[in-house]
Amino acid sequence: MIHIAKRLIEFMLFLLLLSFISFIFIKLAPGDPVKQMLHVDEVSVTKEQIEALRDELKFNEPLYIQYWYWLKRFFEFDLGHSYITKQPVLSELLSRFPATITLTCASLIVMILISVPLGTLSALYKNKWVDHMSRLFALVGSSIPSFWLGLLFIELFAVKLGILPSMGKGTAKHIILPSLTLGIAMSAVYVRLLRSSLLEGLNEDYVKAARARGISEKRIFLFHVFRRSLIPVITIFGMSLGSLISGTVVIEVLFAYPGIGKMVVDAIIRRDYPVIQGYVLFITILIVMINIFVDICYRYLNPEIRLKGVERR
Amino acid sequence: MKIIKQMYWMCSRQLPFILFLAYLLAIVTAPLFTPHDPLEINMNERLLEPSVEHLFGTDHLGRDLFSRILAGGQVTVGTGLLVLIIVLLSGVPLGMMSGFIGGRFDRYFMRIIDSFMAFPDFIIAIVLSGILGPGMLNLIFAIVVTKWGSYVRLARSTVLSEKEKDYVLMAVVNGLSTFKLIRKHLLPHVVGNVFVLATLDFGKIILLIASLSYIGLGAQPPTPEWGAMLNESTPYFHSSPYLMVIPGIAIMSTVLISNLAGDVLRDRFDVKG
Amino acid sequence: MSLLTVHQLYIYFRNKPIVKNIDFTVRHGEWFSLIGESGSGKSITASAIGGLLPKEMLIAAGHILFDYKDITHLSNKEFQKIRGKEISYVFQDYQSSFTPFIKIGKQLDEMIQAHCSLTKKERREIAFQALEDVQLPAKRVYDSYPFQLSGGQLQRASIAMAIMLKPKLLIADEPTTALDSITAAHVLEVIANIKEKINCAILFITHDLRMARKYSNTIAVMKQGKIVEVGTKESVIYHPSHPYTKRLLSAVPTIKRITSPTKRDLILQ
Repeated sequence: MIHIAKRLIEFMLFLLLLSFISFIFIKLAPGDPVKQMLHVDEVSVTKEQIEALRDELKFNEPLYIQYWYWLKRFFEFDLGHSYITKQPVLSELLSRFPATITLTCASLIVMILISVPLGTLSALYKNKWVDHMSRLFALVGSSIPSFWLGLLFIELFAVKLGILPSMGKGTAKHIILPSLTLGIAMSAVYVRLLRSSLLEGLNEDYVKAARARGISEKRIFLFHVFRRSLIPVITIFGMSLGSLISGTVVIEVLFAYPGIGKMVVDAIIRRDYPVIQGYVLFITILIVMINIFVDICYRYLNPEIRLKGVERR
Repeated sequence: MKIIKQMYWMCSRQLPFILFLAYLLAIVTAPLFTPHDPLEINMNERLLEPSVEHLFGTDHLGRDLFSRILAGGQVTVGTGLLVLIIVLLSGVPLGMMSGFIGGRFDRYFMRIIDSFMAFPDFIIAIVLSGILGPGMLNLIFAIVVTKWGSYVRLARSTVLSEKEKDYVLMAVVNGLSTFKLIRKHLLPHVVGNVFVLATLDFGKIILLIASLSYIGLGAQPPTPEWGAMLNESTPYFHSSPYLMVIPGIAIMSTVLISNLAGDVLRDRFDVKG
Repeated sequence: MSLLTVHQLYIYFRNKPIVKNIDFTVRHGEWFSLIGESGSGKSITASAIGGLLPKEMLIAAGHILFDYKDITHLSNKEFQKIRGKEISYVFQDYQSSFTPFIKIGKQLDEMIQAHCSLTKKERREIAFQALEDVQLPAKRVYDSYPFQLSGGQLQRASIAMAIMLKPKLLIADEPTTALDSITAAHVLEVIANIKEKINCAILFITHDLRMARKYSNTIAVMKQGKIVEVGTKESVIYHPSHPYTKRLLSAVPTIKRITSPTKRDLILQ
């Protein structure tokens, strides 16, 4: 418990630092957001209008006061309004977040469905043809750009065969292609990881000891090898949740899927700062929370660390 | 017989790596031999199928795809190499220093690196190009930042593990100066490890560049970058599939060959990357 | 009354013989010590008996008879029934006798479950009895993870596990090598006690003659994959016939030759 509390405090400090850095960076960024905001309306803008808006946004105050205002609003869960849609950033994020989560989970399922059987078979039948096939899959899978794989899928399933929709969101069918694309692209790494982790586990001396006790091979594999192999896999899996969420960005753009990834890319291209900033904070908090969660799982699976309080390294 | 066997062995071990270096060289120098100007727009020759004149056909603005692929190779691969060089030159000395000095500086420095590395590459790249705006220079900066930490860490941990060994102690006892110690005993280990990691990373960097360019955050048109090219010609994929297939294969084969080389190196030097 | 007979056994490792033409017999209730330097093939022989040879090694010729059955080429499934129930092992590396992240009690329970169909309560009783037999605090050890015990405790726990189902043969593969001498003596004593209690035979494998001296009935000396001398403890230790045995014996420091410093000497220093 102390450990988790420590992590949380660290997290708060990190957040403060991050908020400061992102605030400063955006201030230093080129281009005048005020002009950008007003240009969107496509009416001629007067000097007075610009000044009025500047005052309204407190852009004329010194920097530290601006930061203070910003921070105050941040703790009131007010991330500002989008320059373009004029909607509150937080509600935009929250309304789009479920779509991203759905995509992430679906991809995760695809990833697990591919990498666990392949990795396991590969380790059990080392240097047999199953192993060669799954290693080839891992090699090609980690070399193929995910967006290109997605393009191929669209061409094949949506354009040629016409059985699946290629863009947007709505029915369950809409999620198939995006999640398949991301899941396949992500699973390559895990096939490899699981394989080497299991092989390492199978060579441990305690496996020999369990064999000498007459424990069946199946039981040894499930209870003595697989569980240990889960530790590195879960650790990296935790990181992968982050990269899955980040992987959704490309996939969302590719399939015009209305999640937060598509939203931020649009925002970056249109220089919609409040949205970018909101996304940065949101995704940071999300990933740090995932990391803390993974840390807890790691401790649960590894009693040595839990009981002795040994740090992971 | 024995010679043949030995040669086979040599080739199977070295080939991917030699191939990789040859490939890099070819890609970087290829634009010298482009048959057409990769940027020259010719509306009379739009969307031509591959032929003798245009080996890979032409795109929606009538530009020669073959020339664009070659030029794009220089952009994509060259950018990747540039990123690696910047990362190596800045990260490795810092990491070695941190490992060598140790103590509180090392602890805090690693803490910062760790919290950076908790974030996936792609998110950092998105966040940075979000703050700095889309563009190739900002993309390079963003990828350098994402990759930087792991090299600092690797250089540091190599130095730390070598520093503990007896031969370093002996060298110190025998009065070797710090500078010579680092240069003669520590640097070779660090360079070896870092080199393996760099080869393994190269494919990932290429993928990052291409992906970010594809979603419009990297190279901007008309720059012939492979990802950006795919983005530009998206509307024409159905009628001219070669516009999709060829740049994709270019990216994939580059990444594949660098991954193969990386695997070979990793197996040989047993580095955990 | 032979329990285990190894007859003209050859074991190959990648087309090279590493155990060559080995013959020996272990009788019921006997303490049989197999002595040899590292690499002499003694541990390989021990592994072969339980069908635990690594994949690259194979029995090329010869037979292993256990309890009047030929077990040389049993399938893995059939070996599983014998291992732990009739032949059990204690290894040198006590850290690896137990899977590190599973509680010892759970592993004992798992082993009983693998061989007998008993209720949970009965299984628990058997496990507790075995732990008490090796002089361990049963309840505490049962609920501990392996890393929470000391080396000696862990090795005793692994002995408890090995004898729990009253096997006919206990193969102790260098069980004392990784322990300090006091703990080793204790572990040896525990094994001797257990042997009396459940009346099993012991195949004791060691490179250290001192460990064989006290309890053995029969001693076999192995060198480079061959048994060079077999005999009763007395004949091998006091009347060695093979030069290798003689050398082995002369290499052992005896109490007579090296006088250990007394307390007075130490104080004087």
